[in-house]
Amino acid sequence: MLKRHFRELSVAAALALVLLALAVFAPSFYQPQPLLSLLTREAPTLVVACGMALVIVARQIDISVGSQFAVCSVCAGLLASAKLPLALTLPGSVALGALMGAVNGALVAGLRLPSIVVTLATMVTWREALRWQQQGAFVNLPDGVQWFGFSQLAGQWMLIAVALVMLVALALVTKHFAAGRFIYAVGSDAEAARLAGLRPQLTTFGVFVFMGALTGLAAMMNVVQAPQVDPKSGTGLELKAIAAVVVGGVAISGGRGNLWGVFAGLLLLACIAPALTHLHVEAYWEKAIQGAIILLAVVADGVRSRKEKGSHG
Amino acid sequence: MNTDKHRWKVLLARHETILLFVLALEWFYFNSVGRNFGSLDNSYDILRHSVEIGLLALAMTPIILTGGIDLSVGSLLGLCAILFGKLWRDAGLPIPVAAAFTLGIGALAGGLNASLITWLRLPPLIVTLGTYSLFRGLAEAITRGVDTFTNFPTSFLQLGQESALGVPTQVWLFIIVAIVIWLLVHRTTFGRSFRAIGFAPEGARYAGLPIERRLAMAYVLAGFVAALAAIIYTARLGQAKADAGTGYELFAITAVVLGGTSIFGGVGSVRGTLLGVAAIAVLNNGLVHARQPREVAGILTGVLLLLALSASIFSNWLANRRAFRQAAATNSEQPNSA
Repeated sequence: MLKRHFRELSVAAALALVLLALAVFAPSFYQPQPLLSLLTREAPTLVVACGMALVIVARQIDISVGSQFAVCSVCAGLLASAKLPLALTLPGSVALGALMGAVNGALVAGLRLPSIVVTLATMVTWREALRWQQQGAFVNLPDGVQWFGFSQLAGQWMLIAVALVMLVALALVTKHFAAGRFIYAVGSDAEAARLAGLRPQLTTFGVFVFMGALTGLAAMMNVVQAPQVDPKSGTGLELKAIAAVVVGGVAISGGRGNLWGVFAGLLLLACIAPALTHLHVEAYWEKAIQGAIILLAVVADGVRSRKEKGSHG
Repeated sequence: MNTDKHRWKVLLARHETILLFVLALEWFYFNSVGRNFGSLDNSYDILRHSVEIGLLALAMTPIILTGGIDLSVGSLLGLCAILFGKLWRDAGLPIPVAAAFTLGIGALAGGLNASLITWLRLPPLIVTLGTYSLFRGLAEAITRGVDTFTNFPTSFLQLGQESALGVPTQVWLFIIVAIVIWLLVHRTTFGRSFRAIGFAPEGARYAGLPIERRLAMAYVLAGFVAALAAIIYTARLGQAKADAGTGYELFAITAVVLGGTSIFGGVGSVRGTLLGVAAIAVLNNGLVHARQPREVAGILTGVLLLLALSASIFSNWLANRRAFRQAAATNSEQPNSA
């Protein structure tokens, strides 16, 4: 147990350490209202990170999620301001995300192009198309959209609940359901998976579509938090999600890792920004620190796998 | 006779020939649509504006030949630009010294990528994604997002804004770098080892190539060239900001792939990259002259990259099918002749 989940447990230990340090040096971090706001802000990121974990487990990557997120947010905003009920806006956002995911999936799985270049191209294409269309204008939302029309407190709890339900459901599906195991099989060795009777290309396509759908859901979870939609929302979201996934112990070479680690990784990263503020480090450092954390996580994995190889060879 | 005909066919179907044709098409189209597009002044303008992306694309070519990728060059350009400004304005160094230090920093940053990729055998994709965030983040942190470096001396700005011997000054630097990288890739054993690594890394290792050193060389070179591009960028705009070169990595990768270098490594040429840079530069400039919004250039670059990738996959597939048929044909002939 300890050895098998060493990677996830060490992230959890790091998280506990940061939380402990915050309790000692900055007890104001634990005031209920700011803490609830922090968790609500991170709820959409958790949903995207879960999807990203599946993509990386399948040995692919998707850096277009930030742009997809922005396109879905603006479209959801436009649908909502056209007086469409929320029951239609939400599926619309999810479907649009799935469609953009399908474009990535078709290019990666159908034409067998490398996912990094495909999603780099779609990232820029969606982002520029949105800027062309929207020219930076915010979308104002009608009454009754923010917090789904409930009070702020109820809305916040709802968003956190949605994110946690998605996390638990996906963690169980990837562990116990055939569809989830397919992703691991394809990510470990696509050729072996094919010989075992799976269809790796179909699985890859499915993973990208699912990633898009989750991004659409996350966009909607973000839209309801504010009275208007920022067309630049989701900038850098792909890096946040990848950082959480990599820190959470999902191997970038595919086939290894689980969503509980990703959850711990995301919480750890989420605590860093408030911790910086309490330590009086300026917010401008956030991007640099994020990059450093990604590098640290992959270096730790690299050193470990090198040691393991050394002890066997 | 037959081989002559075959050779013509091969030459016509070559990636570079098609690209040259596309480039001519772009030129004639924009010349008929836009005003002043075909003028000598505008040609110089295109040259001047394509130097930085051209440099990054040149440096990206050996990396993609090895089957790697460097997503951090655009961010490194930004970091080097503001460090150059910082060294000159705040540290009070004369311009040439500041430039020399900046080039050293660029090579060091490339060395960071190189050491993570070669020592720990980490995938270049995730390493350079991390440094992509790290370098840009450092640039933002150092300038606190607002600080801008301006008022550079005119003798320095000549590098970016004036002409020497009839062409924009920075073009001479570009030509030198292009020649060096062309020699490296096509006329030395280094180039052969880049291709060998991209074609089959394990095979290259068994053939006794020093893979780590060759890979490190490609990434350090990219860092150095990114720093050079940063200095030229600063001289052209007369200012250095933390967001310098945002998204340039996409343009550079697109130019290389458009130029026929396989994204899987092993196949490609510097000549192709130069044509790819020209195609993108003419497209960007032409769209401005055709009074299209700025965003269209970004959209078209993304679509162009996907089309170029799909086309290379398709031509691979055709070649495989032809080889298969030929093999089948010779197999069926043999029993008759025996």
